[in-house]
Amino acid sequence: MPVMYSLLAIDHLKTWFPVRRGLFSRVAGHVRAVDGVSMSMEKGKTVGLVGESGCGKSTLARTIVGLEKATGGAIHFNGQNILSMSAHAMKPVRRNLQMVFQDPFSSLNPRMNVMDIITEGMVEHGMIRRRERKTEAVRLLQDVGMGPHALHRYPHEFSGGQRQRISIARALSLQPQLIICDEAVSALDVSIQAQVINLLMDLRDRHGLSYLFISHDLSVVRHIADTILVMYLGGIVEQGPAQAVIDTPLHPYTRALISAIPSMDGQSKNRLILHGDVPSPSHPPSGCRFHPRCPYATEQCAKQEPILTAENGDKQRQVACFHYTTIPPFQTTR
Amino acid sequence: MQEQCLEQNDEGGVCGQALRVLWARPLIRACLVVMLLFALLAGYGEAMFQYYRQTDQTPAYQRVDLQKRYQPPGFVRFFTTWSAGDLFRHPLGTDNLGRDVALRIVQGARIAFQVGVVTSLIAIPLGVLLGCLGGYFGGRTDSVVVWIYSTVASMPGLLFILAIAVVVGKGLMGVYLGIGLTTWVGVCRLIRGEVIKHRDLPYVQAARVMGHGPFYILFRHILPNIAHVIIIVFSLRFPAAVSTEVFISFLGLGAQNEPSWGIMINNARLRLWQGMWWELTFVTLALFLLVLSFNLTGDALRDAFDPRLKK
Repeated sequence: MPVMYSLLAIDHLKTWFPVRRGLFSRVAGHVRAVDGVSMSMEKGKTVGLVGESGCGKSTLARTIVGLEKATGGAIHFNGQNILSMSAHAMKPVRRNLQMVFQDPFSSLNPRMNVMDIITEGMVEHGMIRRRERKTEAVRLLQDVGMGPHALHRYPHEFSGGQRQRISIARALSLQPQLIICDEAVSALDVSIQAQVINLLMDLRDRHGLSYLFISHDLSVVRHIADTILVMYLGGIVEQGPAQAVIDTPLHPYTRALISAIPSMDGQSKNRLILHGDVPSPSHPPSGCRFHPRCPYATEQCAKQEPILTAENGDKQRQVACFHYTTIPPFQTTR
Repeated sequence: MQEQCLEQNDEGGVCGQALRVLWARPLIRACLVVMLLFALLAGYGEAMFQYYRQTDQTPAYQRVDLQKRYQPPGFVRFFTTWSAGDLFRHPLGTDNLGRDVALRIVQGARIAFQVGVVTSLIAIPLGVLLGCLGGYFGGRTDSVVVWIYSTVASMPGLLFILAIAVVVGKGLMGVYLGIGLTTWVGVCRLIRGEVIKHRDLPYVQAARVMGHGPFYILFRHILPNIAHVIIIVFSLRFPAAVSTEVFISFLGLGAQNEPSWGIMINNARLRLWQGMWWELTFVTLALFLLVLSFNLTGDALRDAFDPRLKK
């Protein structure tokens, strides 16, 4: 029987940034941007990763694609540990692992025209010859809903939404298995966000893509994701099927995030409002990382670190909290 | 549809735009015209130089005619003789050996341009290459680059140039090498800073995620985005190289047996007491005009390319 690998399996991944101080730039400590994250995702699925700014979402994404060096742990992509690979061995992997960046204005080279931007990778990977670029570019533009008139134009001639389409076309050009969308719609207007998300979902169905969709906005993520991971201060605090996480959030932090989504009916539910800021990731709190801001925290939370455990033996649904069974149930009007 | 595909983007690129902005300013337009005139003169001087070399004659600008020495400029003589021919015969006068000052100034322009271009061809590639490597790779590579340019920068520039000129021997080769090997430091510093600014921008990261190698990214992605810096650097270091050459030739280490402006100034200085004011005046004027227009254009270029100054 052939061994089935998950598309992406992350095992206790750590990405720490050294903080250097003093005359001889001694390492005085570490910013623990990603601190022991484990997750896995299957082919064809979309995983949403949510959390507030500074919780390490983007660092996680950048570590997966190799823009940051991991401090520890492992990342398996199609069963291969990509952290131990040389740059040369990594090249074929890159074809299957692409990324769409947050800022549509600085993520496209201002001195290259659209055709060069979106076909450059295919030429680099030997997928097409130089003279086939034009037809390929037209096809890719069509895929993302743009006409061939864009071919010889430069990025500054496009709006944010169109540029993000070009970014998506660029990621798509290598026919990857996984596209990591790092806040791919956060910089866009709400109406454009919806268009781009619909485009992403459409592409997923047509090309059998998988997404790791990173956002600070739960209302965006629940549209597109099959599974939601909630991240807080470098660690995952809750995960589960999208609908379940939205309807019955277990972790107090997830509840706070969900009650922060504005609702149309104007009625305030039992809103959970957090006080204070995310603690510094260079000195994370003891025990449960959330306990200084958690309304239900007890002494145990300050001493022991809760680990992700399956709820009712359901592997899909995991939460890292000691008290999620005893705290008052969360009402949601959605 | 096909027409739309072939439609050119009407902005004409960043360089075209910058040139249009420059041309719109009368002062800079005048500078550009002056630079063009000097370039034409230099080209004419080169043609003359080659012609005399091929035919093995004594060049007109070297021909000694003791009968005609100390002739004031044509227009000055015109006011005493009232003969129109005087206006065009030796229009800028002759020197102490009867050589035509105008022809010698043209030759000086030729040498000035040669020095400006050749030293740039040495300094800019060297500075750009080292700056790119240090800026992009950082770490140890960067430390080595910074160490090299700090070492060169810590030596007094002129002394270094003179030392090289002495080692290579008198002549223009020493000037080229001396200026080229000292002035790349400024280029390197600027380029390194620009590369550092660009290397962590998302478009460069996107290229890395695509799987492109570091040299491809440097030369295909980053360099086109900082190319304007190279143009600015060229226009600002050109006049500096010209005036340095004039100074070295003035000291007697530069051009030999060729009428460089420095040699002419040195020569004219000694004859000033005999009332020969014209050689010094016109050479200085030529140098002044060339350097001034290059400097003004360089500053204007910097403004035109600086996105912060755009409305």
